[in-house]
Amino acid sequence: MTAYDPCAHCEEVMQQFMDRVLTDAERAEAEAHLDECAYCRKRYRFEETVRQYVRQAVAAEPMPVELKTKLAALRTPLQ
Amino acid sequence: MSETTREPDARQIATEARDRVRFEEEALALSDQVYRVARHLVGSREEAEDLVQETYARAFRSWRSFQPGTNLRAWLLRILTNLNIDRGRRQQRRPDEQPLEEGDYFLYNKLEAAGDGETDEDRVVERLSQNDVVAALSEVPHDFRDVVVLVDIGDFTYADAAQILDIPIGTVMSRLHRGRRILKQAMAEQAVGT
Repeated sequence: MTAYDPCAHCEEVMQQFMDRVLTDAERAEAEAHLDECAYCRKRYRFEETVRQYVRQAVAAEPMPVELKTKLAALRTPLQ
Repeated sequence: MSETTREPDARQIATEARDRVRFEEEALALSDQVYRVARHLVGSREEAEDLVQETYARAFRSWRSFQPGTNLRAWLLRILTNLNIDRGRRQQRRPDEQPLEEGDYFLYNKLEAAGDGETDEDRVVERLSQNDVVAALSEVPHDFRDVVVLVDIGDFTYADAAQILDIPIGTVMSRLHRGRRILKQAMAEQAVGT
């Protein structure tokens, strides 16, 4: 038997917390823990930054212009 | 008799042509977003370009099967993932090759250990270039990456991702959570080595 570790639990629900899929009660429990735990608070904030950075890094490569032209050419010709 | 049937036919043809043009324009307006997702579902830019072209060719041919009012972007991505599977590009992975992932705090803790005990959010940006992030994402096994790409980059809901990939929503959630952890692990390797 292991004792209940609130930080481990907080880590466990972090993704659901950020995806806003926790129940109200679960969310309130996580928020209460975050209010008093700087360790988890820092890691939650870090996760937010990572998610934004990944999205931004991955979106940086634009679609090639030629591809756009090729796609438009696939349209059904007007009669 | 022929007089009475010909007129609605002509009107029908005109309506159909108008619907088709509208469909094609709406689909083309989404091409940047479709490409961005495709680019990270497959291995290379060339493959992504081919796949997007095939997707649009098929979508334009079968536009009648799209139900107006439903999510066109999800419909296009569904075609794209099916084509990707049909092409046999998806390698079958044996269960024992599934990586063991660390916890959600792994990347943070790694960066903290690599620094002087000081870690703030900006560290990740300093340590990882955009190319590093793209490389880390490409290391995430397909099943997990598909879901991460659709939800976190494509902004699809869990339900849309489930429909696109034809898997249960519970599977989307578990793959998403594991996939993000695997991604952070790969980012940690890029940032500080193993």
